[in-house]
Amino acid sequence: MRKKDKSAADGQLMLAKRPLSQRLAKDLILNWRLYVLLLPGLISLVLFKLFPVGGMVIAFQNYSAFLGIRGSEWVGLDNFVRMFQDPYMLTLVKNTVILAILSVICVFPFPVIFSLFLNEVRFRKVKSSVQSVSFLPYFISSAVMVSIMYTILSPTSGIVNVIITKLGGTPTNFMARPEWFRPIYIFLQIWQTLGYNAVIYMAGISSINQELYEAAEVDGCGRWGKMIHVTLPGISTSVITMLIISIGNIFTVDTDRILLLYNASNAATSDVIQSYVYRIAFQSLGFPDYSYGTAVNIVKSLMAFILVIIANKLADKYAETRLF
Amino acid sequence: MKKKCLILALSALLLFSFVGCGADEEAASGSTSTSSTSSTTTSSTTTAQATDEVRSYDMFIRSQYHDWIEELNWYDVAEERTGIHVNYIDGPLEIADTYTEVDQRLASRTLPDATMLRLSQAKVYGAQGAFVDLAPYIKEYAPHIQAYIDEHPDYLAYAADDQGRIFAFVRENPQLIDFMGYRADHFEEAGIDIASVKTVDDLTNAMRTLKAHFGASNPNYYPLSGRESALRFAYLFGAAAYVDENASGGIYYAHEKDNCFNIKADGAYEWIQTMKTWYDEGLINPSWVEGTNTEGDWEAQTLQGDSSLFYDYYNRAEWFMSNGGPTIDPDYDMRVMDMLVDEDGNIIQATTNTLYGTDNAIAVNASCDEETIITICQFMDYFYTEEGIELANWGVEGESFQYNEDGSRSFIVDYTTEETKPAGEKRWSFLSDRLTVCKPVDQEAFYAWNTPLIAEAASRIVQDQNMLERPVIVYTTEEEQRLSNLTAAVYNNEVAGLTSFIVGNTELNEANWDAFIAQMDRLGLAEIEQIQLTAYRRTMGLD
Repeated sequence: MRKKDKSAADGQLMLAKRPLSQRLAKDLILNWRLYVLLLPGLISLVLFKLFPVGGMVIAFQNYSAFLGIRGSEWVGLDNFVRMFQDPYMLTLVKNTVILAILSVICVFPFPVIFSLFLNEVRFRKVKSSVQSVSFLPYFISSAVMVSIMYTILSPTSGIVNVIITKLGGTPTNFMARPEWFRPIYIFLQIWQTLGYNAVIYMAGISSINQELYEAAEVDGCGRWGKMIHVTLPGISTSVITMLIISIGNIFTVDTDRILLLYNASNAATSDVIQSYVYRIAFQSLGFPDYSYGTAVNIVKSLMAFILVIIANKLADKYAETRLF
Repeated sequence: MKKKCLILALSALLLFSFVGCGADEEAASGSTSTSSTSSTTTSSTTTAQATDEVRSYDMFIRSQYHDWIEELNWYDVAEERTGIHVNYIDGPLEIADTYTEVDQRLASRTLPDATMLRLSQAKVYGAQGAFVDLAPYIKEYAPHIQAYIDEHPDYLAYAADDQGRIFAFVRENPQLIDFMGYRADHFEEAGIDIASVKTVDDLTNAMRTLKAHFGASNPNYYPLSGRESALRFAYLFGAAAYVDENASGGIYYAHEKDNCFNIKADGAYEWIQTMKTWYDEGLINPSWVEGTNTEGDWEAQTLQGDSSLFYDYYNRAEWFMSNGGPTIDPDYDMRVMDMLVDEDGNIIQATTNTLYGTDNAIAVNASCDEETIITICQFMDYFYTEEGIELANWGVEGESFQYNEDGSRSFIVDYTTEETKPAGEKRWSFLSDRLTVCKPVDQEAFYAWNTPLIAEAASRIVQDQNMLERPVIVYTTEEEQRLSNLTAAVYNNEVAGLTSFIVGNTELNEANWDAFIAQMDRLGLAEIEQIQLTAYRRTMGLD
């Protein structure tokens, strides 16, 4: 057994000593099936994710759709300077960050808790039914979700206000109150993504070694004990990976949902970077300013990237796991 | 072996899915280019064909406009008389999305021969070579447009750039003013004599009476309701945005008629104070003020008797009468109120639109061949001939209108019969929102094409002394870009701030009001006003 291990280790050492191109070629020959399977995903990544990044160059231009990237006038950092001089930017950043942080804090734990409890359900049919039902809202568009909320919260006929009135309260137009915008946004976020994110954790739970549960039982753990001492640590890698991804998306609020929920009354909390960029680039009253919109987005992405690096480092240091 | 086959099959499937996506894209763009090619072929073929053969060109347009054009009898006659057919290429449903798609089509070089766009797009991209400078073509091939330009120097100042190049045909607007509609049966039932409602205070008192009468049994009743923004009453307090040779107040740019206010005006504070009173006393629909009342909500409220008053598009009173009002309530009687007056009895002038607007201009693709450009110019020119103006505004003599003994014209087709025909069916129609062709507007015909209810109201209300002056201002590209960016922040914040005062989220007092104005100035309101003033003075040749 030891001999076999030694020869394998020697083989790896030899492989490691060869130049990268040779190692890659050998690996390609050895694992060509896996590379073939990887190919579509790789093409997709290059075509739809990496290639468009080049388009961000328009942030340094006075971009014209007709002249294109090669023909548009270069303006250097003008758009970035303008952004930092924009007095409204501070309000937008504040609104975006608060909404994003609340989203991470409030939305993130729900699928973890949900999957932990769902795992404890004994009847498989009940378990799979609940999982399917919770997954369904993921396929409903933001427009429909927001319409449902408008109906439920209507000040005259919505069920919530009907109950409030029956209990002797005064109806409230929740959709028009700045203080209600964030709770509604977060509720919709939980509603829509709970089932989808729970699937990831459920997959992690199913891969936990059953012997660990048996060992925990021997040690006197009940259901709560097993959940806390076996299941939760078992999915910790998935949880941290998802957390880092969430932090990466911290500035990426759901623009569709924001635009649908936005109105004159709740603008104090609902106007975020994305809605502002949308107004400038796509709802312009005069001439659309794509370059400025892109400059704002670049700064937003850079800040998110820095946050991801920090979160990854912290995860590595304190939880001994990391995304990259 | 089985594994290998499975892997290969899976990979092939995944790759095919990509190819599939690509194929769809290709097909989509292919259809556009085919259409473009066919048009070019048609155009070049025309040169060799006899002149009595139908010439054609392609034009990109908002899809709804295309649907409306398809319904218009007079438009078919225009194509028949000119021998020119336009193949309309449908854009998105919303006009703003249509303008965005023009940008996308420019980038992908899939713009057809002509396109509907914003004048600012035409000027910017035109100067870069995307669109044909129409000035020389108009001179040579469109004598009637040239005559119109000679008679209307405003048109040239507005449509041309600083080098005299015209990159788009500009649409002339009918002079529009919103009407105050009211439920006459509600007023009568509540014991209000409409003749006694003359001032804003009278209006507020009338609303109080209505609220007391109908609100007692209907908790959802609010006398005044509407759609979109409720901030449309600034003019009643002399707080509409304006520009003159000395100063500029508020956002006039793109808000000449609708949602037009100047928070620095003397009456602005009183305007918000009054609206707050309306809101606090339940005289105005709170959802409307808060910005969550949709058009459908408003229509339902007005039809079902949950409101009695509105201030909206001129023919809306008729819309309620012919869209279920009398069916829901046999006594339903919507009418149009007179203009309100101030304490001294002077008419309070309302906002109206400018003669020319930036929307719905028509530009010609620079890649068009000479024959197609000439065809487009000749088609447009027809609508500036006497025959064309008559056709587009009155229709065909003997079919849609007749000449009276005194030389005047009157319609002989019934407005209601024509306008209630099912969508897609051919009709005689001359409604303002169907004026999708750039052409001069016959104001008399425009208001004559209405039910007696609106035609009578228009004769009372659509008069120069009832309207504020709305000058056409020409902005440079840089000014327009700066204005549109500043407006994106300032306008929304103004609306949010004013709404906050009205609904009570911010206490309405002098200190908060001054702080609000200062905040708006910091965001860019002062700069907007300065740009507007500079542009006005330049347009009027005052500098």
